[in-house]
Amino acid sequence: MGRKVNVLGVGMVKFQKPGASEEYNVMASKAARAALEDAGIAYDAVEQAYAGYVFGDSTCGQRAIYEVGLTGIPVFNVNNNCATGSTALLLGRQAVEGGLAECVLVVGFEQMEKGALGSKYTDRTNPMDQHAAVMSKVQGFNEAPPAAQFFGGAGREYRWRWGTKKETFAKISEKARKHAKNNPYALFTDPLTVEEIMAAPEVFDPLTRYQCCPPTCGAAAAILCSDDFAKKHGASRPVYIAAQAMTTDTPATFKADSMIKAIGYDMAANAAKKAYDKAGLGPKDVQVIELHDCFTANELLTYEALGLCGEGEAEKFIWSGDNTYGGKFVTNPSGGLLSKGHPLGATGLAQCAELVWQLRGTAGARQVAGAKVALQHNLGLGGACVVTVYRRD
Amino acid sequence: MANEVRFDGKVVIVTGAGGGLGRSHALLFGSRGAKVIVNDLGGAMTGGGRSSAAADKVVAEIKAAGGEAAASYDSVEDGAKIVQAALDSFGRLDIVVNNAGILRDTSFAKMTEEDWDLIYRVHVLGAFRVTHAAWPHFYKQQYGRVVMTASAAGIYGNFGQANYSMAKLGLLGLSNTLAIEGRKKGIHVNTVAPLAGSRLTETVLPKELIDALKPEYVSPLVAWLCHESCTETGGLYEVGGGYFAKLRWERSKGKSYRIGRTMTVEGVKEAWGEIAGFDGAEHPADIAQSMQAVMANVQAGPSKGGNDLIDVDLALGYEYPERTSRYDERDLSIYALGVGAAADPLDDKELALVYEMHGSGFKALPTYGVIPPMNQLMTMAKEGLTAPGLKYGLDRLLHGEQYTELLRPLPPSQKLTHRSRIKEIWDKGKGALVVTETKSYDEAGELLIVNEFTAFIRGAGGWGGDRGPSTEINLPPDRPADATASEKIGASQALLYRLSGDWNPLHADPNFAKAFGFERPILHGLCTFGYAARHVVKQYSNGDPRYFKSIKVRFADSVFPGETLVTEMWKESDTRIVFRCKVKERDKVVISNAAIELYREIPQPKAKAAPAAAKPAAAATAAPAAAAVPTSDDIFTAIGAFLKKTPELSSKVGKIFQFKLTAPDSVWTVDVKAAPGAVARGGSTPADCTLELTDADFMGMCTGKLDAQKLYFGGKLKISGDLMASQRLEFLRKLDPALVVEAMQARGAGAPAAAAPAAAAAAAPAASAGPSSEDVFLALTAYVGEHPELVAKTGAVFLFDLSEPATQWTLDLKNAKGSVVRGKGEAPDCTLALSEGDFMDMSTGKVDPQKLYFGGKLKISGNVMASTKLSFLQKIDPAWAAQAVAKLRGEMAAAKPAAATAPVGAAAPARAPAGGAKAAALFAALGKRLAAEPGLAKDIGAAIAFKVTAPAAAYTVDLRTAPGSVKDGAASDAGATLTLADADLAALAAGSAAAQDLFQRGRLRVDGDVRLAQKLGFLKGLGA
Repeated sequence: MGRKVNVLGVGMVKFQKPGASEEYNVMASKAARAALEDAGIAYDAVEQAYAGYVFGDSTCGQRAIYEVGLTGIPVFNVNNNCATGSTALLLGRQAVEGGLAECVLVVGFEQMEKGALGSKYTDRTNPMDQHAAVMSKVQGFNEAPPAAQFFGGAGREYRWRWGTKKETFAKISEKARKHAKNNPYALFTDPLTVEEIMAAPEVFDPLTRYQCCPPTCGAAAAILCSDDFAKKHGASRPVYIAAQAMTTDTPATFKADSMIKAIGYDMAANAAKKAYDKAGLGPKDVQVIELHDCFTANELLTYEALGLCGEGEAEKFIWSGDNTYGGKFVTNPSGGLLSKGHPLGATGLAQCAELVWQLRGTAGARQVAGAKVALQHNLGLGGACVVTVYRRD
Repeated sequence: MANEVRFDGKVVIVTGAGGGLGRSHALLFGSRGAKVIVNDLGGAMTGGGRSSAAADKVVAEIKAAGGEAAASYDSVEDGAKIVQAALDSFGRLDIVVNNAGILRDTSFAKMTEEDWDLIYRVHVLGAFRVTHAAWPHFYKQQYGRVVMTASAAGIYGNFGQANYSMAKLGLLGLSNTLAIEGRKKGIHVNTVAPLAGSRLTETVLPKELIDALKPEYVSPLVAWLCHESCTETGGLYEVGGGYFAKLRWERSKGKSYRIGRTMTVEGVKEAWGEIAGFDGAEHPADIAQSMQAVMANVQAGPSKGGNDLIDVDLALGYEYPERTSRYDERDLSIYALGVGAAADPLDDKELALVYEMHGSGFKALPTYGVIPPMNQLMTMAKEGLTAPGLKYGLDRLLHGEQYTELLRPLPPSQKLTHRSRIKEIWDKGKGALVVTETKSYDEAGELLIVNEFTAFIRGAGGWGGDRGPSTEINLPPDRPADATASEKIGASQALLYRLSGDWNPLHADPNFAKAFGFERPILHGLCTFGYAARHVVKQYSNGDPRYFKSIKVRFADSVFPGETLVTEMWKESDTRIVFRCKVKERDKVVISNAAIELYREIPQPKAKAAPAAAKPAAAATAAPAAAAVPTSDDIFTAIGAFLKKTPELSSKVGKIFQFKLTAPDSVWTVDVKAAPGAVARGGSTPADCTLELTDADFMGMCTGKLDAQKLYFGGKLKISGDLMASQRLEFLRKLDPALVVEAMQARGAGAPAAAAPAAAAAAAPAASAGPSSEDVFLALTAYVGEHPELVAKTGAVFLFDLSEPATQWTLDLKNAKGSVVRGKGEAPDCTLALSEGDFMDMSTGKVDPQKLYFGGKLKISGNVMASTKLSFLQKIDPAWAAQAVAKLRGEMAAAKPAAATAPVGAAAPARAPAGGAKAAALFAALGKRLAAEPGLAKDIGAAIAFKVTAPAAAYTVDLRTAPGSVKDGAASDAGATLTLADADLAALAAGSAAAQDLFQRGRLRVDGDVRLAQKLGFLKGLGA
C-alpha cells in the first residue's frame, strides 16, 4: 500500500452563470491561491500540478497556473468529461501516494457557454456514439438536450420499474435549493417548492427545467500532500483520502438495452464497492455525501448505487428525509450540481472542498453534525466514475 | 363579461392618478382586478404645491367599486418611494404607467430655464426614476409592463410647448430602448400620445372639444398594453376621442451616392426629390433595418466616379426596358439598296439581297443587324428615355465604333426583342467612351444579334476614371492589301439610306449640315459600314452573306455622297479579314481598325422549325404566323402517340382519366385502362378520375410555368372521382417532348424550342411536383401530436400568413396539447408572413430564416422572440415527415373517396380525419367489454384518463367499482392520466406496441401513478 494522502487545503470561487464569470485563468488562479492560503503554504512548495477542464484549447492548465507562479514544475492537463475534476484529483493522489511527490496542486475549472452541452467536433466519431446508439434503440432520439435524454430516460426506466411518482424527482431539487441557500459559493440560492419545480417547463419527461443542472463557470482547487509534508507545515489532523476508486464502462452499459445502465449505474456501484472495501467502511459509516446530481434522476439512482438505500427504496428514502439534515445522511449539503452549479472541470474539486470543510467542522450553516466520514461521487458520461472516501481522525 | 381582460393579482402604479387620464387609468385597472398605487403629488397644474386629497379620493373611488388601491403622495422625482409603496402595500409590482405631468406653456422667447428644467424633471426625470426603481423587480420576476405618456406636441411640435415637446419625445426615446432591453425579460414598454380633456389640455384646446375627449376613451388602450397577453412592445400610439392608432417611422427611399465620391451640397440639392419624396418609402422598425440602406450602399463598393455629364455609378450596367420590333424582306431590301447593293441589277448575287422572289432564295444583308437595335435606341432617346447618369446632349455624341455580330443568318422576316444595357464607360481624358450593348432575340427567344455601339462623348471625360483598353486592334498588316474594292457612292445615297430609320437632317438638309460646319449633307457612318461589309462579303465569302459572323469598325472620318469608297482588305485567316476604308478623292481613311469574321459553315437555328412561311407582303399587316406555341390539342395528341408507343402502360395504370378544360372548353378522355390505351376528344367513356381546369392553367402546368399542386390546392384544379388515381398520371412525365413537336408540326405549326419542356408537362397534378406547405403542416400536425412537450417549451400560438398563394395556418403550441389548424386561430402571439415559396425553402432548410427576415421577406409581428422557439421545425426528419404526410393523406383519401369537386385543401385536413381515428370505436368496444367482464375492474381499482392526440379526444376508464365504465373526457381525479396518439393507442390495443416501450420513448406520457400504465391489458384486442 502507498502512503497516506492528505488534503491540506481547498479553495474555490463563487460559481457563476456563463457570461457573468471571470475568465478561466482568473477563476482557476484565484481558487489555487485560496487553496494554497488554506493550506498555509507557498506555491513554490508545490512539486506537480494537475489541471482539469473540458472546454478550451490545450494547455489552459499552464495558462491558469502560471498566474500563481512560474516555478517550472510539471503541469498535467486532464480531460474526462463531467468526472474531470475528480480524475485530476485521483492523479494527484496517485503521485503523492506513490511517493513521486510530497505536495501537489489539483485545480479544476470551466468556462462554459450558455445552453445545453453539445458536441464541438462534428468531423469525427463522437466519443459517446455507442452510448447514443443504446439510447436510440431504447427510446429514440429527439431535440431535447442529449444529456437530459440520457438521464431523463434512466428516470423513465426507473419510474416504470418501481412506479415512482414524478414529484419524487422534484423533491430532490427542492432539497438541493434548500441546502444551497446556505452556500455562498452556489449559483442558485432561492428556494423552490415541489409545485414550482413540477410546473417549470419540461425538458424531457419526467425532468423539468429545475431538475437539470445549469451550465456554470467556476473553479476549485485542492492541495494534496504526504504526512511528512503535512507535519513539516504544522498541520494538525488534516482531512485525508481514506480510499479512492475510479471505474469506466463495462459491457452492461452497451448490451443491457437499459438507460440506467447506459448512464453509468454500474460504474458508480462498482467504484463505490471498491472504495468502501479499500477504506474498510460501509455506507452506514458515512455521514455526508457529495454526489453527482447533474439531474434529479441521477441523484435518485446514485442513492442506490452508493448503497445509501436498497434497490427500489429511493422514493421512500427521499420522502423520509434521509437525504437531508435530520435524516440518515446529508447528500449534497453544498446544493450539489443542481443548485451550486456544474462547471465540468471544477465540479470534482468543489465536491472535495465541501467535504473537507464538512470534516473540519467549518461548513457554517450547512455543517453536518458529527461528520467523520465523507463520500464523494463524481461521474462523467463517456464514461468515468470516481468515488472517494475522506476521513478526519 | 366573457373573456374579460383582467388584471387579477397584478400590481400597478399610475403616476399622476389624482385626476384626468391618470385617474381614469387607475379606476379602470382597479375595476379589472389590479391592485393600484394611486400616486399623486396633489400639486398644481404648473408644478407647485402638494396635497394628499387628490390621490385619497381616487383610492376611495376604487375601493368603493370593490377594488384594491393605496395612495402615494410622493413626487415622481422620488420614484423609488413610489415603487417601495407598491412593494410595501401589495408585495409586488407588475405595471408602471408613467402619467404624471405638468405644463409650463410659454413661447420659446419667453421661456425661462426654470420652465425648461421643471418640465424635464417631472416628465422625463420622474418617469426615469419610477421606471428605474421598478426595473430590477421586473427584471427579477421576468415580467413587467411600462407605459410612457407622450403627446402630439412632442411628435409634431406645438406652439408654446417647446419644453413639453422636448420632454414628451424624450420619453419615446427612453421607451424605445427600454423595449429592447426588456424584451428578453418579458418587460414590455410602450408609449401613448393621448388626446384627452384634462387640466393639462384645457390650456390648448377649446372647451367643446375637451368635452368630447374623455379620459375614459384613452385608458382602454393603456390597459391593453399592460396586459400579460399583449405582446406589443416599443410601440407608439395615438389615442383619444374614440380613435386608436399606431404610429411608425416612414423613411423616404432616399438617395445613395457611392462611397468615395465627393459628397457635395449640389448633390444633395439635386437629389432633393429623392431624399425628401416618399415614393417607394420604407418603414424601418429597428436599428438593423435602419442601417440596411447605408449597408447596401457601402456593400455596393466604391464609386467609379464621374462628372456633371456622366455618372458612372448610375449609368454603368443600366438595363434599358425591353423593346420589340419587326422587319421583313421589304425592310431588308430598302436597307440593301441604301448601302449600294444591286447597283448592277443583273448581278445575281446582289439581286438576291433585294428581290424576295429570287430563284436561289432571298438573302438578308447581314449588316442590317445593326439597324433594328439602333432604331430602338434612337426611339428611346427621342422618347426621353436615357440611361440614368448620362446627362450629355446628343450634340456631344459621335458614333465612334460599331460591333455587330449575327449568331446565324438573319431570317427574311422576324420579330425581335431587344435588351440593351450600358456595358462599359471609359474615361479617355478629354472625352469619354460609352459602350451600349444590345442583344436581340428572335421570336423563339433565341439570341440572334449582338451589337455594341461605342459612342465618343466630347468633353465628357477627365474624372480620373479607368481609360479602358488602349491597344489598337485590327491594324492592317505591313503589306499591300490582299484585295481592294472601289465603288462610287451615289449622290443621293444618303437620302436612300435614311429610309432605314436614321432620320437625322444632317444627312439630308443642306442648311442643317452647314450649321454643323459641313459644306453639304454627309453620308451616315453606318451606311459606309454597310458598303464596306458588302465589299468584304463579296470578296471573301463568294457573295453569300450567310457566312458573315461579325464586323467591328472605327469611324475615322466623314464621307460625302458621290465620293468613291475604297475598301482595302487583308485576309488574316480563312475566317478573319482586316480592312480599312478610304475616300479615294481625298485619300482619307474613313473607317479604320476594322475586321470582319466569317463562319466556316452557315450556322443553323437551334430550334428545328423554320419560321412561319414568308409572305411577300407588307409585314405590318402580316398576322404573326400561328404557332410557335403548343396548344392543349398538341399535348393530347402527343399523349395519344405516347400511349400507342407504350402499350404496357395500361396494365400498370389501369385507369381512365377525363380532362375537362375550360376557356376555351374542351373535354379529353385519356384511357390507360384497355391496352393499348387511347386519347379521344369528348367524354363519353366513364372516367375513374376527372380533372377540371382552364385551358390556360393546363398549358401553364404543361409548360412547367404553373405548379400542378398549387393549382390543386388553390382550387384551380379540381379532381373528382378516384383522387388517388390521379397519382398514376405520373407516367406522363415520361412523355417524349419530340412527340409534342410532332403533334405541332402535324397541324402545321412550327415547333419552337419552348415546346420542349412540355414533357414534364402533362406531369400529373397530384402526382406531385415537390411538397407544398400543406404537406409541411400536415407533417407538423403529426409531429405536434407526437411531441406534447412542445407546448410547455414553446407556450405560444403562431400564425403563418403565407402568400402566393395565400393560405393561413395556425400552429398552437400554447393550449392543451397543441394543434395545427388551417386558417387563423384565436389570438396568435406571433405572426410570420412570408411567401409560400420562401416558407418551403425555409422548412426544407434551403434558406436561413434569419436571412429571410433581414431581407424583409419574412415579416414577424407580435412576439418576435417566440419565433426563435420554432427552431424545432428544422429538426423534423424529412423521411419521417414524408411518411406522416403519406399516412395522413391516405387517411384523408380513405375518409373521403368521393371528395370530389371541392378543393381538397379547404377540407381542413389538419383536423385529422374522422375515418382515421380509432379511439372512439376502441373505447366504445371497451364499454361493452367491461359490461361483459365485470372482473376487469376489480384487478385495477382506479380510474385511468386517456388524453388521445392526433386527433384529440379524451376518455376516462373508471375501474374503481365493478363493472367499471367508460366516459368521455379526462377525469381530473383519475389515478393516472395517459397521453398518447390515436395511432399508438390503436397499436397498444392491437398488441403491436408495448406500453413500456411507448413510455420509454415518450410517446406514452403518464401523469400520476405510472403503475396503472402497466395494467392496460383490458385494451388488448379492442377495435380489431
